Amino acid sequence: MTSALPSPDHGQGSAAAHGMHAKHNLTGFIIFLCSESVIFLAFFSGYAMLKLGALDWLPAGVEGLEWQTPLINTIVLVSSSGTIYLAEREMGRQNIWGFRAWWLVTMALGAYFLWGQAVEWSGLKFGFTSGTFGGTFYLLTGFHGLHVLTGVVLMALMLGKSFITDNYKGGEQGVQATSLFWHFVDVIWIILFVLLYVWQRS
Amino acid sequence: MTSSPSRINFPAVAIVSAWTGVLVVISFWMSRQAYHWLPVQASTAAPLVDGLFSFETALATFVVCWVVSIITWVVLFNRADKYDMSDAEPIEGNTRLEIIWTVIPALIVFGIAFYAVRVNQQLAVLGPMEHIHRGSPVEEVGGYVGDRLPSETVEVIARQWSWEFRYPKANVSSTELHLPVDKPVTFRLVSEDVIHGFYVPAFRLKQDIIPGRAIDFNLTPTREGRYRLRDSMYSGTWFATNQADVVVESSDGFQHWLEQAASQPLQPGLSDAVQEYDQRQQAGAKGWATVRPAPRPQVNVPGSNTLPHEA
Amino acid sequence: MTTAPFDPRVLKSNAPVPGAPDNWKRFFSFNTDAKVIGIQYISVAIFFLLVGGLLAMIMRGELITPENDLVDRTVYNGLYTMHGTIMLFMFIFPILNGLNNLLIPTMIGAPDMAFPRLNAVAFWMVPVFGFILMASFILPGGPANSGWWSYPPVSTQNPLGHLISGESMWLLAVALSGVSSIIGALNFVTTIIRMRAPGMTFFRMPIFIWTVWAAQTLQLIGLPALTGGAIMLLFDLVVGTSFFQPEGGGDPVLYQHFFWFYSHPAVYVIILPVFGIFSELFSAHSRKPLFGYLFVALASFAIVFLGLIVWVHHFFPSGVPEWMRNLFMVTTMLISVPTGVKVFAWLATIWGGKIQLNTPMLFCLGGLFNFVFAGVTGIMLATVPIDIHVNNTYFVVGHFHYVIYGAAVMGIFAAIYHWFSKFTGRMYYEGLGKLHFALTFIGSNLNFFPMHPLGLMGMPRRVSSYDPEFTFWNVVASLGSFLLGVSIIPFLLNMISSWVRGPKAPQNPWQAIGLEWLLPSPPPAENFEENVPTVISGPYGYGTGKPLVENQAAYENQQFQEV
Repeated sequence: MTSALPSPDHGQGSAAAHGMHAKHNLTGFIIFLCSESVIFLAFFSGYAMLKLGALDWLPAGVEGLEWQTPLINTIVLVSSSGTIYLAEREMGRQNIWGFRAWWLVTMALGAYFLWGQAVEWSGLKFGFTSGTFGGTFYLLTGFHGLHVLTGVVLMALMLGKSFITDNYKGGEQGVQATSLFWHFVDVIWIILFVLLYVWQRS
Repeated sequence: MTSSPSRINFPAVAIVSAWTGVLVVISFWMSRQAYHWLPVQASTAAPLVDGLFSFETALATFVVCWVVSIITWVVLFNRADKYDMSDAEPIEGNTRLEIIWTVIPALIVFGIAFYAVRVNQQLAVLGPMEHIHRGSPVEEVGGYVGDRLPSETVEVIARQWSWEFRYPKANVSSTELHLPVDKPVTFRLVSEDVIHGFYVPAFRLKQDIIPGRAIDFNLTPTREGRYRLRDSMYSGTWFATNQADVVVESSDGFQHWLEQAASQPLQPGLSDAVQEYDQRQQAGAKGWATVRPAPRPQVNVPGSNTLPHEA
Repeated sequence: MTTAPFDPRVLKSNAPVPGAPDNWKRFFSFNTDAKVIGIQYISVAIFFLLVGGLLAMIMRGELITPENDLVDRTVYNGLYTMHGTIMLFMFIFPILNGLNNLLIPTMIGAPDMAFPRLNAVAFWMVPVFGFILMASFILPGGPANSGWWSYPPVSTQNPLGHLISGESMWLLAVALSGVSSIIGALNFVTTIIRMRAPGMTFFRMPIFIWTVWAAQTLQLIGLPALTGGAIMLLFDLVVGTSFFQPEGGGDPVLYQHFFWFYSHPAVYVIILPVFGIFSELFSAHSRKPLFGYLFVALASFAIVFLGLIVWVHHFFPSGVPEWMRNLFMVTTMLISVPTGVKVFAWLATIWGGKIQLNTPMLFCLGGLFNFVFAGVTGIMLATVPIDIHVNNTYFVVGHFHYVIYGAAVMGIFAAIYHWFSKFTGRMYYEGLGKLHFALTFIGSNLNFFPMHPLGLMGMPRRVSSYDPEFTFWNVVASLGSFLLGVSIIPFLLNMISSWVRGPKAPQNPWQAIGLEWLLPSPPPAENFEENVPTVISGPYGYGTGKPLVENQAAYENQQFQEV
């Protein structure tokens, strides 16, 4: 072989290469979240167009949506964004048990939100097929709820992984990504709350 | 950056100008030809649309011919020898030229858009459009809403797969659309099932018919004759057969037709789909699943859809 | 000097080479090498090109006579629906992803994609949703038959009332296709942003990389909207919701907004990489730098921005208000400006160059001509009063087939010929390539040009029969389509026989400038491996004498042992 290039050194990955790879993961995840936000934006626009253009928006026998309990759920979910931030801060201080404690609190708050959503659903007097009102309500809250559930599952995974020794030597991208996802889910909920529960007349 | 040389080459400018002149002539000629590619002009909209199309054909011809000229020149005179892999002049760009060929097309585009917006305003075909409920109790209170329309309106009911035309003032219905020449007409377009398209090529006008809405649509026919109305939005199995004839006639002829029609009893109107469906069923319904055609509309005058039409 | 029968680095290569016994197995396995995945995508795509093409032949067989006399109308409607769906979701998007996989890492000096396993997952989803689509043909109700747009309410009519229907399988396949494409887009964009070789700044990237970055950005922004619309349609179909059903207060036109918000940018996803291919090939085969690199690069993102605000032009006649029609007419026409910048740049590139009329160059020139023709009919379609007349007629069908087959597919063929030697290590047969070009250019023009007069005369699209006055041009178009069908034969023969027994290729048969040409043919598994070059100049240095990378001579002299 007449090449003047040095022989390739097979199979040796360096820690630096690993770090680079991990940074790719976070970049990719952020891009994924931006893309995911578009599907919510699409559903929001659909909801708004249908609501504004409807002749009779509310189905027969439905006066509107009760907003007090959902407001409590909202406060719970927003607080959980605060607790997940605290968890990350503990991790930054190398306090792994502090991290796990706040992480668990966040998971509990998220689970409470899901339970509250289920309770609300079971008490409603309209279904998924009750016109566009029912369809958009369950579509929006259901799709969001699916993301909350995914977030709780991701957090459980991260919690499990935190017990693997030296898991965080190369960086905490999994935790960072999950946390970003959780904040995303939170912001989506705030917009949803305004669209569904605050904007009830038009 | 290595830029192209900027001395003015007079013979080249002369040749390019002369060739541009030739292309302008060809483009102008094509723009006249463009009128022949379109159907007869049978509405006030048609000359406007055709004029715009002719103008854009001229521009299109000019652009395409210029691009072909350049490619032809390059292929004829810039060929390298078969095994010659040497490089050409390293000309990487010319910022002034690039700015020119960004700005001038933008200006041309705004010019075309301005012309087109003006034509849009002149066409002004789309009337108000309201959402309706099919089978809504509100409508049932006042009777079928078609009976409450302004009298000059023609109601068009599109179905899978037939067209029904109702003239409320004269209490006439038909599956052949009759219109008086040179009089503005307002259509009220409704669909009983899926989206259809009300399209008369001779008029150059088209409007989708959306179920759940009643859409007002205005036009003025300008030429007597028999034309085709075609369903332009895919509406299912017998979509291709969902056509009707449009007969534009003198005011007197139109009045006469209305009076004749009013005296006819209701009978099944035209629907090629119904006929084909029955034949298909008898032959064993080979093929995939299909929605059943709506029954033929009961009308005073079925009319014809097999007589020769002009467009 | 080694006593092995072939270069040991080739052991890790992913193309069959003489003497390596089981390399072919890599192409049928879950392999994470982007070059293998690229070939997998391209092969699957070409298979579905043949399937979609066969459907088109049957359609044109029906349309060669005015009456409906070849297949039942329900069959025709299923055929045209599946023709469009297969050509878009099973052919053109996968083949472009295949080219991305082959070219992105090699052109930017990266060892592989950012997420190699996700990359393989994205590919393997393609045969899965392809199977779902093809399986729908054997359902009792037949496949989806409401067009590739699947507009409600006609698409939700479901006459047999079955849960598993052609339409529901269509929606499932399209949703999976969307997920696969989003995963791919994440990979491509992250790789381009993060894994370029040292010295390759954004403005030293080849234009192909710019255009792919632009195209994949559109995928990321647009696909979720399509997915959302498809989910709502699926619920309408199987659960009985009323998002788009007027009886329940829903709005069918809302679906059109969802659908076209993605599907318009989708056409730029298709054409932008082809613009990139043209930029690369016109430069290489004229031996001249690309004219106006900066404007051409930026124009790619101008097209992204404008491409997101034009979607309503697909449904001007649906009753959208006048102000909306005027707005979207202006934005649509404006896209011709950045596109024109690219076209003029290509013309200025080849002007005064040293042209080699080999197969890649022929396909690029033919593609350019077809593209310009399609562009001017596009301006006509953007003009609302004209569009009101020709929307939903064959004029539109002619326009988009000129762009897709006449420009995009020809550009893709050009790319395959141009880079064939790099990724297979063998040269294709030039004579067959030129034959392929001639048949394709004549066939596509004969097939798609007649559609323009048909549309102007008022022939609607998607019809299984037509009035007799449309016969002449339909006969011409059908004959052209059969020629186009035949044209694929020299291509298939060339690809298969060249790969199996074509002459071994030199490292850089075109003497082209680019990082991929500094790799052996075929490249080893991790491309440059530990010897990633440092880029020291911009990409199209023909005639400038400037080397592309440091120590370029070392990369240029990589020979294999003769076997």
